[in-house]
Amino acid sequence: MADVVQPRWPGWVGSAASLAGFGVAAYLTYEHYTGSTTLACSDKGIVNCLEVTTSSYSKIAGVPVALSGLIFFAIMFVLQLPALWRRTEPAIRIARVAWSVVGLGTVLYLLYAELFKIDAICLWCTAVHVLTFVVFVVTVFGTLMTSSPEGT
Amino acid sequence: MPNSNRQSGGKSNRSGSGRAAPGAGSKNKYAERHAAKQAQRQAELQARRRRNLFWGMGIVGLVIVIVVVLVIVKVGGGGNGSGSAGSSTSPPAGTPIPVALTGKLGSIPLSELTSASTGGLTTSPQTIRDPALTSNGKPDLLYIGAEFCPVCATERWAMYVALSKFGTFDPQPGQIHSAIRDGDIPTLTFYKTTYTSPYLSFTPVETTTNQPEGNYYVTLQTPTAAQQKLWVAHTGQSFPWLDFGGKKELTSAQFDPSTLEGLTFSDIAADVGNNSTAIGTDIDAAAKVFVRTICTNLTDNQPADVCKSVGNG
Repeated sequence: MADVVQPRWPGWVGSAASLAGFGVAAYLTYEHYTGSTTLACSDKGIVNCLEVTTSSYSKIAGVPVALSGLIFFAIMFVLQLPALWRRTEPAIRIARVAWSVVGLGTVLYLLYAELFKIDAICLWCTAVHVLTFVVFVVTVFGTLMTSSPEGT
Repeated sequence: MPNSNRQSGGKSNRSGSGRAAPGAGSKNKYAERHAAKQAQRQAELQARRRRNLFWGMGIVGLVIVIVVVLVIVKVGGGGNGSGSAGSSTSPPAGTPIPVALTGKLGSIPLSELTSASTGGLTTSPQTIRDPALTSNGKPDLLYIGAEFCPVCATERWAMYVALSKFGTFDPQPGQIHSAIRDGDIPTLTFYKTTYTSPYLSFTPVETTTNQPEGNYYVTLQTPTAAQQKLWVAHTGQSFPWLDFGGKKELTSAQFDPSTLEGLTFSDIAADVGNNSTAIGTDIDAAAKVFVRTICTNLTDNQPADVCKSVGNG
């Protein structure tokens, strides 16, 4: 049976980043459903959270983006748990990679919308984007480094 | 491993080399071979790790390049510019819609709505359980939107087609477009229109114009305290929000707003009622859903000819 090299850091870093992302997304979801009346963010110039979180791009197919982020990080947290990183079943590895690609694709779309459609940047959203990117990087390197020497 | 040792020893003995300690010699050879194999395996492992690291850095690097390119294009003048009014391909807000077009939009045949495929629709009204929403003794359709909002702009086409089956607008809505930096989608506005129907009341609230002011848009109409409370409770103040008498709500356009980007008012109006076009099909289908929702939740299936034609929703 092939040896499997299993560094521990992907599980810890990935789950920590997912947990942090879940926290920020939870805050944005709360603000979304309470009218963004207590959103702690600049509302001047290019950095304007309110303009972003109340724009037409704050929903995809009727679902608030903040809520989608919350669901994304909840599932990602489970996929990033060290216990699941120790599992080598292809289904788990593929699910984790696919889910991180979905997250990154959504982030790129939302970044495009912020820069070119809304003309405003939301710092809280950027925090979520950065955490999604961190999770993606962890997933990419973690997956490549936990591949067995036989390439399985 | 022990098996390998035994096999090596056996071979050595059979070969009969005549050395003083044939067993020890074969063990040394095996150890050398084993060490070489281990070294080769280590080297392969190192090479694989280097390759994986290279791939990982390539993938992550590609993502960083995409982000950097987006930022550079933006800084270099891409997009619409923060807060800029820009220029629209649509006429100024409130420009009257030609009578021929309002006449057409207000009398799309029910058969055309009924036959429109709903395959392009992405959402539909959802059930809510609020106290009955009424106005002037009639079931009320409350609409809270904004003229800058592209999703509202998209849904208003279907709203106008559907509401025309139950009553009349006077004066007719004027032309408008969503904010230039938010799709610049041609549409009509319910601001300063009055809707009269024997079956329901329609309460439109267009909260802002499509003109940027500071970091938002110029305020147009303000919801009442009761409307505001419902709006916050159901959507957290996002646009559009439609409350069908406290029984159903719609929180988005029923089809993708980007399909209307780049078109003129006349382009879109020409397609409405024509199910051989994708845009016409989507607007007609959205209007059909609208009519069904009104019939079922607001007018008790009146008028019968309209509600019977489009079926139950």
